[in-house]
Amino acid sequence: MLLETKGLTKRFGELTAVDEVNLQIQEGDSLSVIGPNGAGKSTTVNLITGLLNPTEGKVLYRGEDITGQEPHEIVQQGLSKSFQTASIFPDLTVERNAVVASLGAEHGSFSLNFLRRLGNYDDVLERAEQTMRDMGLYEQRHVEAKSLPYGDKRRLEMALALASDPDLLFLDEPTAGMSPDETDDTVDLIERIKEERGVTIVLIEHDMEIIFRVSDRIAVLNRGAKIADGTPDEIQGDPDVQEAYLGGVEI
Amino acid sequence: MSEQTEAATPGESADASGLLDRWDGLRERESFSIAGAIAFVVVFPMIFTNLPAYNGYMSLVELIYIWAIFAIGFDLLLGYTGLLSFGHAVFWGGSAYAAGLFSANVSGEPLLIVLVAMVTAIVLALIIGILSLRRGGIYFAILTLAFGQMMYFIALGPLGGITGGEDGFTGVTVDPLLGALELGTGFAGVLGTLLHDIGYVLFAGFFVLAVAAAVRIVRSPYGAIFQAIAENEQRVRFLGLNVWRYKLAAFVISGAFAGVAGGLHTIHAQYVAVGSLFWITSGDIVIITVLGGIGSIFGPVTGTIAFLYVENIVSGEIAFWLLVLGALFVTVVWLFPAGIWGIVTGIRSTVREQLLGDDS
Ligand SMILES: Nc1ncnc2c1ncn2[C@@H]1O[C@H](COP(=O)(O)OP(=O)(O)O)[C@@H](O)[C@H]1O
Ligand SMILES: [Mg+2]
Repeated sequence: MLLETKGLTKRFGELTAVDEVNLQIQEGDSLSVIGPNGAGKSTTVNLITGLLNPTEGKVLYRGEDITGQEPHEIVQQGLSKSFQTASIFPDLTVERNAVVASLGAEHGSFSLNFLRRLGNYDDVLERAEQTMRDMGLYEQRHVEAKSLPYGDKRRLEMALALASDPDLLFLDEPTAGMSPDETDDTVDLIERIKEERGVTIVLIEHDMEIIFRVSDRIAVLNRGAKIADGTPDEIQGDPDVQEAYLGGVEI
Repeated sequence: MSEQTEAATPGESADASGLLDRWDGLRERESFSIAGAIAFVVVFPMIFTNLPAYNGYMSLVELIYIWAIFAIGFDLLLGYTGLLSFGHAVFWGGSAYAAGLFSANVSGEPLLIVLVAMVTAIVLALIIGILSLRRGGIYFAILTLAFGQMMYFIALGPLGGITGGEDGFTGVTVDPLLGALELGTGFAGVLGTLLHDIGYVLFAGFFVLAVAAAVRIVRSPYGAIFQAIAENEQRVRFLGLNVWRYKLAAFVISGAFAGVAGGLHTIHAQYVAVGSLFWITSGDIVIITVLGGIGSIFGPVTGTIAFLYVENIVSGEIAFWLLVLGALFVTVVWLFPAGIWGIVTGIRSTVREQLLGDDS
């Protein structure tokens, strides 16, 4: 078991945003989390990756309890997250963005190397270059991140999440706001990441077509609670899901 | 994007751009900045001491180097890491007192005095950093201010017996450098014109060292991480980096610079004023850095020159010199948010565009 949540719960005052959610993710078995807006999808991911502390429940990664650890500790163990709104370094060049990401991957969470030249760290620079090439951003390496087109910004965001070679990658609505072409490219990219890097992906997505292309399993959240969990085919036929999420509409 | 790749290919680019490329290649080198700093300490006094109303004393030039070291370190925190400390007087004043006490009771060797000052500042920065950095933004500024004022009142009251209280610490005794070189000993001939005396070499030497250290830090992994933290702290955290430790490192490094400066100031003034711990000193270093331009190494140096010129020279000519300073600060920040150094770099890129013509 790569990742497991046990009774994961988050309350914001009166509101229970995540309600005793149990998830199980096997290595190589990509999961999509679906559910209407406000169902608690993002919050669930934030609880797992350490941005938020759960009110109750546990997160186990490779059998080890990582509940309440700092994000950087969690990332160092091989979990990574791509944000719903591109979280990049706008005033730095694409290359700088990739270099910072590679530093976290090559040197651990902290290193006392303030008198060492960055230019001499070949491992860091190579990883940055490789990441940029993989994501098709190498040509734009001297461009300030803020002047990238929207789709490229999202790709840079994903590049940052991938630079650390994670085993488990969380993608929170990676295609939100994208044009159909950009969406297609992004889905291709996700499939490539899965295959070439062997990353297990947890995808939050609304578009059913994408979900069926990318995921091996689907978990459905509604009002914070998990109401179904299974293969795409099972989910498709589940009456609860039809009712709660899809409003009875056929998919 | 296509512009960039075009400019990078040689081909038909004019001579001017070829030269500029070579110039850029040179400027990229670390040794360039250090050579620049050395040239600066040779040339600067020749120009500065001939400015209007300047009565020709070298002491102010040395004082500028000392404050510039303080400002360079402060900018590593403010400009690069994006953290505004309002309590840096603690490191400047605290290290100045440590230097004074050490000189009076243990050794008057200038290099040891500076070392003790630096270590003192590092220890203070570790403690205050750990206590203040837990909170971000305005809370951090207020906490540092509070710790600074606390130290001021401690030096004034409870520790008055040691620090000299309101009168300041007067027991500073500075020995010759390395036991042999009296700081006041002047050089003869050309060396005299260029480097003046041993004291000048000491202060200017530490200034050059500070520039070299800052350039190296900015080009180390820390430089990249500091800038990233300033731009998007949460992202840095999610890249697996321990933001809290890097912030503390930035705080301690800037404290170390302030410590070196504070120690040098004790040697220079042969006295420690209790005002060195007062919040106004913390404010001065913020003004100097912002006036010169944050996020660069030479910006804070420029700010120091402007500030100390007004504070020491203009003040002799105009009674309302604080008003002059205020007006200068407001004007620069209002019209040129990138500070005086920002004006310089702005002119530089305009000239470049002219030189390159249609190329770009
Ligand atoms: N930091 C927060 N404070 C208070 N309420 C929050 C916070 N974050 C999310 N919520 C609430 O929790 C619920 C789940 O939000 P979210 O996880 O973002 O949903 P989803 O990603 O499925 O659209 C929503 O009702 C939202 O308003
Ligand atoms: Mg969401």
